[in-house]
Amino acid sequence: MVDPRMPTDPIEPPYAGYSLPAMVLAEIWHHLWPWCHGGFQRKRALVAAEVAVALAVTLIWVLAALGRLDAAAIIGWWFGWSVFEVMIRMQSKPYVKEGPWWGRQYRKASLMDMISYVSFKNLLIGAALFLALKSMGLLVL
Amino acid sequence: MKRILTLLRAVLAATTLVLVAPLAMAAAYEAPLPAEIGTAPDLCAMVACHEVMPGADSFSERMGRPAYVEAYRDGEQGRELIGYVFLSTDIVDIPAYSGKPVVTLIGMDTQGIIVGTRILRHSEPILLLGIPEEELTKFVNQYLGKFVGDKIEIGKSRPDAGYIGLDAITGATVTVIAQNQVMLRSGVAIARQVGILKSDPKPQARFTDVHELRSWEELVREGSVRRLTVRPEQLGLPRANEPYIEMYFGYLNVPAVGKSLLGMSGHERLMSRLEPNEHAIFIIANGVDSFKGSGFVRGGIYDRIQVAQDMDTFTFRDMDYYNLWGLEAEGAPGYRESGIFIIRDPVFSAAYPWSLVYLGNKLDRNTGERSFVSFDQEYWVPAHYLEGGRPTIIKPDPPWVRVWKMRAVEIGLFTAFLLAVATVYANRNRLTRMSNRKNKWPVNAFKYSFWVISVGFVGFYLLAQPSITQVLTWFHALLFQWKWELFLTDPFIFLFWIFIIVTVFVWGRGLFCGWMCPFGSLSELLYKIGGAVGLKRFQFKLSKPWHDRLKWVKYGVFFVLLAVSMFSMGLAEVLSEVEPFKTTFLVGLFSRTWPYTLFAAGLLALSIFIERPFCKYLCPLGAALAMPSTFRWYGLKRKQECDSCKACAVGCGSLAIDKDGRIDQRECLLCLDCMVYYTDTHACPPLAKERKRRLKAGLPLTPIGANGYYIPIHPEPMRPATAGKS
Repeated sequence: MVDPRMPTDPIEPPYAGYSLPAMVLAEIWHHLWPWCHGGFQRKRALVAAEVAVALAVTLIWVLAALGRLDAAAIIGWWFGWSVFEVMIRMQSKPYVKEGPWWGRQYRKASLMDMISYVSFKNLLIGAALFLALKSMGLLVL
Repeated sequence: MKRILTLLRAVLAATTLVLVAPLAMAAAYEAPLPAEIGTAPDLCAMVACHEVMPGADSFSERMGRPAYVEAYRDGEQGRELIGYVFLSTDIVDIPAYSGKPVVTLIGMDTQGIIVGTRILRHSEPILLLGIPEEELTKFVNQYLGKFVGDKIEIGKSRPDAGYIGLDAITGATVTVIAQNQVMLRSGVAIARQVGILKSDPKPQARFTDVHELRSWEELVREGSVRRLTVRPEQLGLPRANEPYIEMYFGYLNVPAVGKSLLGMSGHERLMSRLEPNEHAIFIIANGVDSFKGSGFVRGGIYDRIQVAQDMDTFTFRDMDYYNLWGLEAEGAPGYRESGIFIIRDPVFSAAYPWSLVYLGNKLDRNTGERSFVSFDQEYWVPAHYLEGGRPTIIKPDPPWVRVWKMRAVEIGLFTAFLLAVATVYANRNRLTRMSNRKNKWPVNAFKYSFWVISVGFVGFYLLAQPSITQVLTWFHALLFQWKWELFLTDPFIFLFWIFIIVTVFVWGRGLFCGWMCPFGSLSELLYKIGGAVGLKRFQFKLSKPWHDRLKWVKYGVFFVLLAVSMFSMGLAEVLSEVEPFKTTFLVGLFSRTWPYTLFAAGLLALSIFIERPFCKYLCPLGAALAMPSTFRWYGLKRKQECDSCKACAVGCGSLAIDKDGRIDQRECLLCLDCMVYYTDTHACPPLAKERKRRLKAGLPLTPIGANGYYIPIHPEPMRPATAGKS
């Protein structure tokens, strides 16, 4: 039976029952690491490719830090990475939080939910990194 | 098939023409300028100086600091100086709304009257399409015939205070305020340099008899020695560990400071060389650049440093330079370059704050262009060295503060409006409980009032229509030059966006889109009015399957705009004309070329028959706000029975309720109709069923609880009689 009180079906992530500090750490990890252990076991080849892309993204940031890339390239990579992350998460962590951010309600993510989540999260992470690099003088525009 | 393809090609070509035509008309928008325009000696070989200096036959090379050129007319008695031409970006680096400066060529006669202006390049998005570029030309032409020393501000003239008012460009307030600063400061800087404007000398500083020697660290701590650092990346150069230039500087006339730095005899020797009202500052520097400049020649000026006080600038020639042989202060750092410079102008006073300015050229790594840029560090002799302490200085309000003060009443009203909407929505449960299926006025009275205020006051009067272009502009300002002052200069948009960001996370985008967006409100008002005047039978909704397909179009529009803006802000601005906001509110339906008028009018006409077609299917701003709405904290309530009941879904104007009774929070515009049903004991089927059951059983009708059901009746067992009764 469908529960119309939730936009999609409720779901429990592996860390649903953790204590508050463990939960906070698990959520930080969840935001930063799109892969899950099970997914890694199942599709090693794909994950290897994914990691390679992740390294490429890291390299982009390093190059940016060295002043080798302009903002457009970084943003382009950010966009590419976000698309990639959406695909990964839909397989490995296909859920999003529902309601207040400090709550513990989770639900199954639709594709649009995941696009919204990843783009918004990466926008915040990207903006924070961008401003940090710029303020430290590591990014030249 | 061939015919269809030909037709399609023709339509595409026509669309492209319509979209690109404004770009061609906006000649100064991102106009390419010669890369050496900021540095080449012969400025007038690159730009049309004669256009801003009528009657000139020839021009000098760049001279002075800041740079200008002299304009001459050939007369019977030889060449006659008739005025000066200068480039705004040689003098000031004030960014406009786009974060980039409006490059302006200005002509001024020998009396200080502006005789010509020309916008060479701007990056203002609003002037690309929304407002014709000629408006900016018209704006700067208002300076023609005015004296550069006049007090000029945007708005009405204030003869009592001596201010001349200029007409603003409606919808481009930030741009014109920035441009006013550019015009005034450029004109005054050159007029002072060539002697047209003279400053009144300020009272000179009188120093206390504090003579204790200080260490370097103490001098730095008390502010007697200050540091100005310029990093390579600030000039567009690759990052390096070593600063481009790092200068320590201080004022040597203060006895304790001068003696600490130069030693007793050194200070005495220096003071003996100074005339009354002459001032000595020292500079030591490290880094890859030289503050003296490698091109310095005898008799020339030091063109990389100057001292600024208020609107006056003081430059140094070789005769103003003395060698600095060493620093005596304990702990003084090593340095690569040093010097003592003498300010001989009586206008300068050490009792007041001044700045050491480093003048550089910033390299644009994409275009290779160099533009003038300055870095400064303020210096003010510490109070304990000045007799009577530091004088009181009343600094004029920055432009954005003036705007906030000037429009305080409107800002107050607008803020009250925002708070009222938030308060009403926060009390939505109370209002929906007071309403029922047949009488929704407790909710609608507020909602309709807010729509009318949004359209009339916010849209047409304040022109505060949020737009996707603002999001793109912020994005680019973040990349190039973020200045809070620029965004504060438009207080209504600034406040609106704070409100929108907060409420999107608390309740979702529906509060803004459904209750306050001027265009959305106008659109739905038209729909309601259409229904009220007998057009209801022509009004319709798209079928749910079609709606579910078309709703994605707006997300596509948003992502296309975002992606395009990364490569070409200009093209993104063109494409953002998909928003009819500029046509409707900023410029006016009948003030634009017909394709824009037709588009906006067509959408509004369609709104009479379909509820909010633009909001549902096209609005990129709505799409941008819908995505974070996924994570709003408080959504609308549902019951389990909603999975099979279609009562709310049938009446949902936003078509945001799916076949399972779930609300799509991204599409929901928070009209609250479903929330009225939620507690309506006659309209909500589970409630109606329970109501009938209780009435039949003679049970009381308890109030509706927060979960949307009657508060259950729990019969309590009768208590046995207690001992007290015996």
